[in-house]
Amino acid sequence: MNTPDLLTRCLGYLPQLLAGALTTLWLSAVAVLCGFFAGVFIYTMSASDSALLSRAARVYVSVFRGTPVLAQLLVFYYVPSAIGLTLPGVVAAAVGLSLNTAAYQSQILGAGFRSIPRGQIEAARTFNLTRRQTLWRIEVPQVVAVTLPALVSEMIDIVKASAVISVIAVTDLMRVGQQLSSSSYRPLEVYTLAACFYLAITTLLSLAAHGYERRLAKRI
Amino acid sequence: MNAFLSMVPRFADAMLVTLEVSLLAAFLGMIGGFALNALRMRFSKALAIPYRTYVWLVRGMPYLSQLVIVYFGLPVLGLTMTAAQATIVSLSIYAAAYFAEIFRAGWASIPHGQIEAARAFGIGRRAAFRAIELPQALAFAVPLLANQVILVIKESAVASIITVPELTMTASDIVASTYTYIGPYAMLIVCYWLLTQAVALIAARASALIPFLQKTS
Repeated sequence: MNTPDLLTRCLGYLPQLLAGALTTLWLSAVAVLCGFFAGVFIYTMSASDSALLSRAARVYVSVFRGTPVLAQLLVFYYVPSAIGLTLPGVVAAAVGLSLNTAAYQSQILGAGFRSIPRGQIEAARTFNLTRRQTLWRIEVPQVVAVTLPALVSEMIDIVKASAVISVIAVTDLMRVGQQLSSSSYRPLEVYTLAACFYLAITTLLSLAAHGYERRLAKRI
Repeated sequence: MNAFLSMVPRFADAMLVTLEVSLLAAFLGMIGGFALNALRMRFSKALAIPYRTYVWLVRGMPYLSQLVIVYFGLPVLGLTMTAAQATIVSLSIYAAAYFAEIFRAGWASIPHGQIEAARAFGIGRRAAFRAIELPQALAFAVPLLANQVILVIKESAVASIITVPELTMTASDIVASTYTYIGPYAMLIVCYWLLTQAVALIAARASALIPFLQKTS
């Protein structure tokens, strides 16, 4: 008896939920991308000859992997205002998520970097390539190809972690769900629909990762 | 300095709440996950698809999403609970999926030849499970289980959103009442970091003990 009503209500929620899902998606993509470059940087720090740099990198990874994302986001949102700098929620969320994923990606990419035969780096040096060229033109492409499934897994984790940015005033999928549920007084259907959006995003990402892994296996 | 010292007892209480909620949820989740995996192995034809669906659902959605469905959505169906109860229930269900997968990996690490050999020697299914499969699967799984407990502790921070008086909620509370941001949040980060490092340390010690426990002579 309630199904046609339920359906119309759900269709009514869709435009806002879709907008929220898009915010979640592009914020996660930005975070993963920035986190990638930061992760490479953290890895080079940890692999450097300087004991100070490598310890700093280890502390960074330990803190960002050992504390909840929500706590990190609250720090990046509220602490700048103590120094007089007001960050919009979106910026704080992007910064917080990027720094968080950088810690995880530095470990993922590190495993990839260590799998590159040293002979390649020595050959690059004999060909007079600078350290930077060797890193970005020879090592990184191989590392990305090898670690892509793990990187996509990390992106899935970031999409899920992004649900808490609703707390720092970002209108993401979760926040839209909260707004809709308080205006419609129907939390069960709204939150379930929002959850389905997350499920769709993570499922598509992991199917893409599986497809890539299968193609890689076929080539070998 | 005074303000800083006055925060410590509140954070100590909050840390206890965090520990209670997350360790209880981790414990229930571990038992649930173990049972789920054991049932999946026993009734593989009937339970394969429900198991995979459950894991896909729980691991595909953010924990916050599941928490709000349990806390705000279930009352619509007549099932109300306090914030703490909702957290423990939803966190246990969430953790059970991950623990089930860890146990599944643990069992997958046992060479199948051992199970066949056990059957050939006439060792019953239950005895083989307890004496042959369980020790090896657990030895494999302990680091992963410890890591998952750490993840559960971190995930419990989300409960602050539904005002469970754990660490994150307490820090936000202090910030809201004293208008100081750096002190409480720095304390928050330190508290969580200490918790996760402590669990990691305990897990490392436990892992080192395993070879000694496996010696039969």
